[in-house]
Amino acid sequence: MNLFSVGISHHTASVDVRERMWLSADEAAGVLSALKEHFFAECMVVSTCNRTEVYGVLRDGDVDEGAVKRLLLDAKKADEGVRPDHFFTHHAGAAVHHLFKVAAGIDSMVIGDIQILNQVKEAFQSAGEHHVLGPIMNRLMQATLHVGKRVRTETTLCEGAVSVSYAAVELASKIFADLSRKWALLIGAGETGELTIKHLAGKGIGHIKIANRTRAKAEALVAELGGTVVDFEQIVDALRTVDIVVTSVNSPSYVVQPEHLYSVMRQRGNNPLFLIDIGVPRNINPASRKIENVFLYDMDSLNAIVDRNLEKRNAELPRVTTIIRQEMVEFFRWHRSLQVAPTIQDLHAAFEQVRQQEVEKNINRFRPEDRELVELVTRRIVNKLLHQPLSMLKEGSENGSGGPETINRVKVLRELFGIGIKSKRDE
Amino acid sequence: MVTKTFVDILVVALPFLYTGLVTVYGIAFFRNAVTVERLKRPYMLALLVLHLVYLGLRTVAFDHPPITTVYEIMTLLSAAMTMAYVYLEFRTNIRNTGFFILGLALIFQTVSSVFIKDLTVIPEYLHSLVLGFHVSAAMLGYTGISIAAVYGLLYLMLYHEIKSSRFGVIYSRLPNLETLETMSHKAEVFGFVALSVAIVIGLFWLPRVFREFSYLDPKLVGTIAIWVLYAIGLMSKRRLGWQGRKTMILALVGFAFVFIAMAVINISPSSFHTFH
Repeated sequence: MNLFSVGISHHTASVDVRERMWLSADEAAGVLSALKEHFFAECMVVSTCNRTEVYGVLRDGDVDEGAVKRLLLDAKKADEGVRPDHFFTHHAGAAVHHLFKVAAGIDSMVIGDIQILNQVKEAFQSAGEHHVLGPIMNRLMQATLHVGKRVRTETTLCEGAVSVSYAAVELASKIFADLSRKWALLIGAGETGELTIKHLAGKGIGHIKIANRTRAKAEALVAELGGTVVDFEQIVDALRTVDIVVTSVNSPSYVVQPEHLYSVMRQRGNNPLFLIDIGVPRNINPASRKIENVFLYDMDSLNAIVDRNLEKRNAELPRVTTIIRQEMVEFFRWHRSLQVAPTIQDLHAAFEQVRQQEVEKNINRFRPEDRELVELVTRRIVNKLLHQPLSMLKEGSENGSGGPETINRVKVLRELFGIGIKSKRDE
Repeated sequence: MVTKTFVDILVVALPFLYTGLVTVYGIAFFRNAVTVERLKRPYMLALLVLHLVYLGLRTVAFDHPPITTVYEIMTLLSAAMTMAYVYLEFRTNIRNTGFFILGLALIFQTVSSVFIKDLTVIPEYLHSLVLGFHVSAAMLGYTGISIAAVYGLLYLMLYHEIKSSRFGVIYSRLPNLETLETMSHKAEVFGFVALSVAIVIGLFWLPRVFREFSYLDPKLVGTIAIWVLYAIGLMSKRRLGWQGRKTMILALVGFAFVFIAMAVINISPSSFHTFH
């Protein structure tokens, strides 16, 4: 199989190297054309923040790996800082295996990454738009997307938050049914707090309130996300009307105390209140945990969720590996059948040619009313003669039992009947 | 004769089939197995049909609907719970709570299958259509109350996991707290309304049928006490804005009261309110 892949990823290169090799859509289009022109019959390029990888079916069996790398480096003018050993290369089955691992999300920096499958899909579509795909890459991509889909539906590899900010959102979804009907309050505009509130906004939270010591920063965030600004001194009052609170304030003492919450919970009819304390040191007195319907989490408890989810994802690896193995078997079964299909066609064509020649030569010896019968009978003879060898060939490729055996049969048949040899001689 | 044979087979088979169904739901819940996940719905629907066939055959074989003894009513309750769960699962697409609700159906069906007797001679009034409505409404009422209690229990389990930051299988597989609370509340309201209908029908119909009717009958008093308890609970929830854990504990306490009261009342020999 003439499949070849080359690229850099987070396994082989640091982020500054990966940045240099990242291809925009226009750059990828240029690279695809150049690759097709010089090396590949079919190809595609996947470029994300964690990887820039080329997959292609070689024109000839052999490839000058250095030349392909050089083409990529030239395209990005990235000689400085990017070395040849930053690249990995895979051939044939190893390239298929690598692509399947990428699509499954087990080659990602965070195992179970759900974005990568869409990125691979986009790369595939882009290659299609630039007319650099062919039957093998098309089939390979179908199999790749199938791997990704199966991993997402048949395993829990992509389930559970694996960052603190997402863990907070996941917890909110375990307490509340409909986030669009809930209000959130961000106290302090620290980086993780801001990220958490952005995730909540992404999940369609009903309304956002932001309180910050520097009001201008709160206003800037409100301008970006929508919502309202709350005076920092009014935060305890604001607790009455919100359901989710994210605190990320740099403060030596607790900003929210249990006595505040006892009073607030009475005023809000004991409605559940979800508090995410990302501040270090903590902003909410941990004794507040004891209050009924108050759910308080700090960095440690959120990290525990992340660790647990990562553990669960790792536990899914054997199931993912099985899916990849099954899909590889399927893909290679199809690939083997490729060798059989042209042989069958060629054999049919060769026999048909002989039949037609002989019929044409001798047709005048028959009465006009018998000529149709001659056509019919000669066709039947050819079909019967071909039946046994073609059945054996098809059987070998369909049951996938005899890879080398099937290839051997193809070879023998081609030699016996001069298929391929004749055309070369003619050329 | 053939009908009776089928009834005899099904009375033994149903507890085993329910055990299988609960096992399937249990594996799907605790192991998250894909193949079992696909199997559980068709299995549940097939078993429900079989259970309804059993109830139909029983009615034909013994010439009365299965509402004359506690154990006949238990199999009816078991079928009603399964039917209610089928409705809930298809309506809400929440597929992970079957283990708990169908578990209750299994318990009712097993007790029924072990103790049920074949009664062929029953009083004439048991053929009344009004009695059918009365018993059906009561069954729906107790089904609602039971389902409310199961969701209440699940709420408390999840609440405890979230509060204590122990994120196990309950956390992973159950729907969110708010959904569990809503489902419990809706089941409770449904149960309360159905029980109200059963009581109203009973109060009109029973004095006409039973000469020995008494408003002090233990079953009547017990049922009305249960109704009053739930009425107070639902009113408090509405008026005082009770939410979350407290109301779920009340749902469980209410169910425990119903269970104990019904057990005591049905064992009591002094009630006119037995139909055999």
